[in-house]
Amino acid sequence: MMIINRLRAGIFLGIAAFAIGFVACSKSDNSTTKPNPAENGFDKAAMLTNYADNLIIPAYTSLQTQLGVLEIAANSFLAAPTFANKQALKIVFKDTYLKFEHVSVDQFGPAEAALFTNFTNTFPTDSIAIEGNITRGTYSFNANSAVGQQGFPALDYLLFSPNHLNDFSGANAVNRKKYVQDVIARLKTLTGTVLTGWQNTYRASFITNTRSDSGSPIAFLINQFAFEMDQLKGPRIGWPFGKQSADILFPNNTEGFNAGISVALATENLISLKAMFNGNGSGKGMSDYLIALKKDKLSSDVLTQFDKAINGLKAVPDPYATSMSLHKTEIEAAYREIQILLTLIKTDVASATGVRITYQDTDGD
Amino acid sequence: MMLAGTIRFWMNGWITQQYVTPKFYFTYMGFDWVHPLGNTGMHVVFALIALSTVLIAAGLFYRLAAILFFVAFTYVELIDVTNYLNHYYFISLVSFLLIWLPANRYFSLDVRIWPNLKRTHIPLWVIGVIRLQIGVVYIFAGLAKLNPDWMLQAQPMKIWLPAKSHLPVIGSLMYKEWVAYLFSWFGAFYDVFIAFFLINRKTRPVAYVFVLGFHIATAIVFPGIGMFPYVMIISSFAFFSSGYHQKLLNRFQKSNLCNGVKIYNYAPILQPVLAICIGIYFLIQFIVPVRFLFYPGHLFWYEEGYRFSWRVMLMEKSGNTFFTVKEPSTGKTYEVENREFLTPLQDKMMSTQPDMILRYAHYLADVYAKRGLKKPAVYAQCFVALNGERSRPYVNTAVNLAAQPLSWQHYNWVLPFTNHEK
Repeated sequence: MMIINRLRAGIFLGIAAFAIGFVACSKSDNSTTKPNPAENGFDKAAMLTNYADNLIIPAYTSLQTQLGVLEIAANSFLAAPTFANKQALKIVFKDTYLKFEHVSVDQFGPAEAALFTNFTNTFPTDSIAIEGNITRGTYSFNANSAVGQQGFPALDYLLFSPNHLNDFSGANAVNRKKYVQDVIARLKTLTGTVLTGWQNTYRASFITNTRSDSGSPIAFLINQFAFEMDQLKGPRIGWPFGKQSADILFPNNTEGFNAGISVALATENLISLKAMFNGNGSGKGMSDYLIALKKDKLSSDVLTQFDKAINGLKAVPDPYATSMSLHKTEIEAAYREIQILLTLIKTDVASATGVRITYQDTDGD
Repeated sequence: MMLAGTIRFWMNGWITQQYVTPKFYFTYMGFDWVHPLGNTGMHVVFALIALSTVLIAAGLFYRLAAILFFVAFTYVELIDVTNYLNHYYFISLVSFLLIWLPANRYFSLDVRIWPNLKRTHIPLWVIGVIRLQIGVVYIFAGLAKLNPDWMLQAQPMKIWLPAKSHLPVIGSLMYKEWVAYLFSWFGAFYDVFIAFFLINRKTRPVAYVFVLGFHIATAIVFPGIGMFPYVMIISSFAFFSSGYHQKLLNRFQKSNLCNGVKIYNYAPILQPVLAICIGIYFLIQFIVPVRFLFYPGHLFWYEEGYRFSWRVMLMEKSGNTFFTVKEPSTGKTYEVENREFLTPLQDKMMSTQPDMILRYAHYLADVYAKRGLKKPAVYAQCFVALNGERSRPYVNTAVNLAAQPLSWQHYNWVLPFTNHEK
């Protein structure tokens, strides 16, 4: 028994010594060598700070500002609903919608809690429900079932669909005008909620959480990159083009259909996604994290593929609804590039960063 | 122990997510008749599992509870391949063994109620069976790690560890290659040899320190693996001698229970039958993990013979699959939105596992046939990235998967794994 005890004590001591040596080594390593991103680790907190302070929060701020501009332009149109004023409003509307494309990818944290994208950009919009709301004059935008009755797609329908200009004149126009104002007010409220959410509490937890498991900022970012690519392949470009439906076209289902700005929106979405991926070229983006993980080739391949897909989309002229019949080859080409980019993000990038593309928080082995 | 697991599952809302929400379930071959029971039904099943764990631990209606637990737990696992985890399988196996073992004869409520059931001693082989089962798990898990990727490339540790650099103290080490090798090699040797050290009485206490250290470390570094470390920590107790357990039990109960020695014995006629049954059981336990030897090609790539083989945390694999359904007579093609039919988790699991791809393809053929397509053909465009390599095409895009049979044969439509470029 004594012998065993001694043996045990000896081994315990051995393990303890080993552990102490281990920690000591790691400390001396840190103090003697200068941090080199490729060797001693990549500063994930700096990357996340860059995302929060230079990309995400400014994007919401400028959307909020632009919504104020839209509100003024819309009010002057509603005061004098002429064709000329409508054309002037369309320019402001497009600018605002383009700003939205910069926050579309950020559906996590406060945006996820507020279901931001659902309430601001569910398309195609539910025009029948909208007309019902206007006729009744009573409606609530808060229910989840009302996602299709508000946001940018609702404005697109109300303001720019053909034959609706006359509806803004005369005695019956009061409800319609109020509805437009309510939709804009709701957009401002939602954006404000998300923005304050980021500024007050979420930013702090976002930049300090450098984990990669599900529910962490890094996993959110990669998951959202993949999600936006899915949206681009599906509802923005592929589905209206008949990819799901044996080439039967659904031009009315595109994003920003009535304003005729679908391709511009999709392109902006992808450009903003690329800026998110490379941290706006600051050296503190996901592409730099990949380089730190010794995936230089992958990092540059993804950036190249972004450019290919963006150029593919740029070759397709707006309005998308007409291009669907006139520029099929260009659309097919852009679609292929989008699909390749989607695969790179969903498999190679996810695999290299150890992030799972799933929204469920499960066990694995 | 298992009660905590069930409660955790319930609290996380996983019951609804995994067994109620999906429209389609990836059943196991030969178990196509297993279907989920709907929202209330599934929650009742989980309640039964929870109840049976309480009964087993208290030793009340032991055998009935053990059967109930085994049936209910295994049923839940059989519903969907997506949710397969090695330690769930382990729990199913152990609960199956527990049905046949007299684990209720000494310190249990059953004995309080029916004192004549009481036995103080059981044949050593009864514990041996449980120990052997645990040993099988460890040794096969260890042997599985002895592959070039794991030992020579330190993959997938090289991918997983940098993702853990947020950890205090050791965080900055996570980018270093030698740490990945240390984790890989230590893990492999631990798994291969720990069972032997646990069996040997002299090395047992030290070995158990290692069990604790290893599993607590994995629980900290890989919280994603959930209950597994705790399951192994608790079950390794079976290696301790009866004297140790007696001491532990005496802490709960001061009065001396062991007045008079009574040995538990199975009826003499049953003994050879039992021996044969146990022999067959462990023969199967041995054959199942090595069945991959009978399949050609790279195991991690094809995953033929991967499941039920104690291959734990062995590889990093991501995939992405697009399906197109085609009506041959008209040439009309429809791209499939996977989200319409699968949960994100199912989508992810399906994209890297050939048998699930095929099952889903057959399901799609049925769905589109109901939508009015004549003899729909299903094609998949699939890309898979394995252990940090770049993604490659996985499935032959020219093959109509709807026409491929589900079987245990080698899948010819999976493209071969080519090992080049980094």
